[in-house]
Amino acid sequence: MALQVLEFEFKSAATQEIAKEWSHLGVTGSGDLEVLMEKKALNGGVKAKVVTPVKGFDAVWEKMLGKFVTDTGVGNVSIEINDDNATPIVVYMRLRQALAEATAKEAE
Amino acid sequence: MELKGITREWDSLKKDAAARAASAAPYVKEGKIVDAKDAVALLEAVIKPGDKVNIEGNNQKQADFLAKTLCQVDPGKVHDLHMVQSVLTLPEHLDVFEKGIAKKLDMSFSGPQAGRIAEFLKEGKLELGAIHTYLELYGRYFVDLTPRVALIAATKADRHGNLFTGFSTEDTPAIVEATKFRQGIVIAQVNEIVDELPRVDIPGDWVDYVIQSPKPFYIEPLFTRDPALITDAQVLKGMMAIKGIYGEYGIKSLNHGIGFDTAAIELLLPTYGEELGLKGKICTNFILNPHPSMIPAIESGWVESIHCFGGELGMDEYVAARSDIFFVGPDGSMRSNRAFSQTAGHYAIDMFIGGTLQIDPYGNSSTATANRVAGFGGAPNMGCDPKGRRHSSEAWLKCGEEYGVKEAMWGPVHRGKRLVVQLAETFREKLAPGFVEELDAFALAKNANLPIEPVMIYGDDLTHIITEEGIAYLHKCRNMEERTAAIRGIAGFTEVGMKADPKETLRLRDLGVIKTADDLGIDMSRANRSMLAAKNVHDLVVWSKGLYNPPAKFRNW
Amino acid sequence: MKNWTELENSSFFDANARERALGMVDKGTFTEFLNPLDRYCSPHLPVLGTAVEFDDGTVCGVGLLGKHPVFVVSMEGKFIGGAIGEVNGGKMVATIRLALKAAADIKAKYPEEYAARRPLVAVSFETGGVRLHEANAGLLAHAEVMDAFQDCRGIVPVVAVVGSKVGCFGGMGFVAAATDVIVMNEEGRIGLTGPEVIEQEMGKDEFDASNKALVYRTTGAKHKYIIQDCNYLVEDKIGEFHKTLAEVAEIPMAEIEKMRRIGSLKLVQEQQELVKLVGDMQPKDSMDLWKYFGNEDPAALPEMTTAEFLKVVKRRVRS
Repeated sequence: MALQVLEFEFKSAATQEIAKEWSHLGVTGSGDLEVLMEKKALNGGVKAKVVTPVKGFDAVWEKMLGKFVTDTGVGNVSIEINDDNATPIVVYMRLRQALAEATAKEAE
Repeated sequence: MELKGITREWDSLKKDAAARAASAAPYVKEGKIVDAKDAVALLEAVIKPGDKVNIEGNNQKQADFLAKTLCQVDPGKVHDLHMVQSVLTLPEHLDVFEKGIAKKLDMSFSGPQAGRIAEFLKEGKLELGAIHTYLELYGRYFVDLTPRVALIAATKADRHGNLFTGFSTEDTPAIVEATKFRQGIVIAQVNEIVDELPRVDIPGDWVDYVIQSPKPFYIEPLFTRDPALITDAQVLKGMMAIKGIYGEYGIKSLNHGIGFDTAAIELLLPTYGEELGLKGKICTNFILNPHPSMIPAIESGWVESIHCFGGELGMDEYVAARSDIFFVGPDGSMRSNRAFSQTAGHYAIDMFIGGTLQIDPYGNSSTATANRVAGFGGAPNMGCDPKGRRHSSEAWLKCGEEYGVKEAMWGPVHRGKRLVVQLAETFREKLAPGFVEELDAFALAKNANLPIEPVMIYGDDLTHIITEEGIAYLHKCRNMEERTAAIRGIAGFTEVGMKADPKETLRLRDLGVIKTADDLGIDMSRANRSMLAAKNVHDLVVWSKGLYNPPAKFRNW
Repeated sequence: MKNWTELENSSFFDANARERALGMVDKGTFTEFLNPLDRYCSPHLPVLGTAVEFDDGTVCGVGLLGKHPVFVVSMEGKFIGGAIGEVNGGKMVATIRLALKAAADIKAKYPEEYAARRPLVAVSFETGGVRLHEANAGLLAHAEVMDAFQDCRGIVPVVAVVGSKVGCFGGMGFVAAATDVIVMNEEGRIGLTGPEVIEQEMGKDEFDASNKALVYRTTGAKHKYIIQDCNYLVEDKIGEFHKTLAEVAEIPMAEIEKMRRIGSLKLVQEQQELVKLVGDMQPKDSMDLWKYFGNEDPAALPEMTTAEFLKVVKRRVRS
């Protein structure tokens, strides 16, 4: 019944830091999620926390987030996700969008 | 050897039909018209136990009044019927089995009634002949499944029984031709009886009785997809499809299956397709229903022709005003025809692309679930490599050129290959996996005691799979092992994808058997709804210059 | 994130709560209260296994329209249908009270300039009302908001902004009615009982919720504009809402009071006249009323663009 709280840590090869101190993207809608990224000194690594009502997908979350870290080389960032039944592609796309947002210069 | 002819009557069917007509005579008013209140009596007079009976159930148009009427006949008089019909949509289509009026069923597709068919099969209430494709069933109408009585639906009739089926012609010509020319009986329900028809779609002497239905026939806007519900993931797959397949092969003639995936592609043509400079090079000739989501592509000059299986609610006026594109009669309204459209879809197009629910590691793809006997309608005919094709095109030849086993299978002969493409998300809503080690079709075959697993598209016909992870160019594979590895390589985090060997996936990417969005040069952060040429139904109306008249359930204004 | 021009030109209907909040006030002036980094989630949802959101589904904050501080509440329909619970309800109430406090401070500091610096409350409704998971707190929030609106009467204009997917239904339908000014786009809907619930309780013959055209004719902005529930009907662009709010910020308080539809004996009498009219004429459809108010071809109105509609529409004459 209760929400699942999953926590992961990843080592990043490239350690691309985000530009902003923190950045937020998305809405916890059905089949969607929100992503909060915060710059943190984590020895180049990535910490992730996922809060989700879905059970039994811990391994998928770990692989998915790991793929995101590998694909983008992002590091020294803490990622927090509130999820509501998003599919892996939606998670991956939102992560990429959130990263683009966190690395972008302030909007004109 | 002495040759001896047999002695028999050679016109017994004709005599039987005449006898049935005689007992129906009291119910006939002027010309061929029968009152709706006498409909039950009429059916009891002309239908005999054990007859093959067709209730016109199309993908869209339904002979709903006659279906209801058949449910009201006395099972003491009319029973053990063998129903032969393409689509079962209405509850009445199965009520006839529950009431003991019908016994056996041959069909193509069952949509909302699929669960009940499975139940009835288990309980022995129904005997299933086979689940056909549309063309296969129409073929059998002319071989061993000819209806004795056909209960059809038309838009208008005149007193002589001439019918106007117009925009919603669909299956009617195939059914009537088979029935009437083997001395069968044709009964039509019509929305309206008029003095003069806009045009004659079915000649009056092929029709025996006409009944004005108390309500116009039921029709569903099956092919309308609200652009507001298209997701970013569908936009991404659409962009991959356009760049990695449509553009890559120069696909000019094609069919789009029903669904949001292909609606997304249709709405990306005027934006992303334009940006890639593909106008005129792809998507010029379609076989599909008048999808409202095609309007922006048509209006921006992408499309040369569209032939339709059936109509679509609210599209009549738009289609009529675009007679350069659609097949429009001398009266100014379109004529759909499922039999011809399916023939075109089987032989005359370069690509079929559509969505599916499950794909296995062999590439077999199916929408069957364990407890629903649904069938696939026309998809297997379009989603296969037609072996009878003898004309060539650039796209067809290129796909054949890339065929990984062509030396082994074809020798030195030059041949082409139909592109058969499935769009799949690795996980759908509620995290249901799109890739599975064993299709639910196996469980269904067991549950419903079917001799073969209901597979929509066989693995050996499937040439491409598109998921958010990438495109697998399956036809390039040289053996089953490679094909399975290619499928696992784009199956994401499903049980099938988790077994992928990353090294093998990388090797297949090097070979161009797998291409990811990055490999295709697609910027994922651009894949969002702002790429769509229309973002809601109202935008479609604006694109159509007010000619599209969406049904009430799609009008958010 | 969209740049400012893109944001102002984008659809209000498609925008999320934060985009609306940012775009309704002047460029770069919005400051969010309890932003996502504060992680102020509902304490009730986790125990029920329901997904949470860092802002609990409502974006609150303050921005400027010229010299006017604007206290913004913007609801997110994608999160539990925009329903109001303890945290987002509390944020809404506190934001309105803050507007009152700002009004008092401004009056004290700039007694001569109050009209030019007068605050404004703008609530972008996208909600079905009370969040059933935490219904008591949600109901309480509704009552407190109504109370705070009353406190704002004559001091700070309260504007309802309605133009998002979910519309404004349930208890929040009452709340929207209790504001001073209502601004809507064509896609906006306001009602009490939602269409699906009416169908479920009264049957499909009474109200077919799948008939979206009927739903819009009954609860949509064009209807609300004709019967004078809606004060401003604008194009579906965030910038159009921004512009209209800036206009309202300059209107004298006495004129604002005249834009209300409930809240005085005279207004109650006016509403009763409308009830009597409907009782007498027994309309079968909203279009009967539109015709009664002077629209010769009511069936043409839903098909018109907002601009075309505003040119030709005849509205109820207020007594």
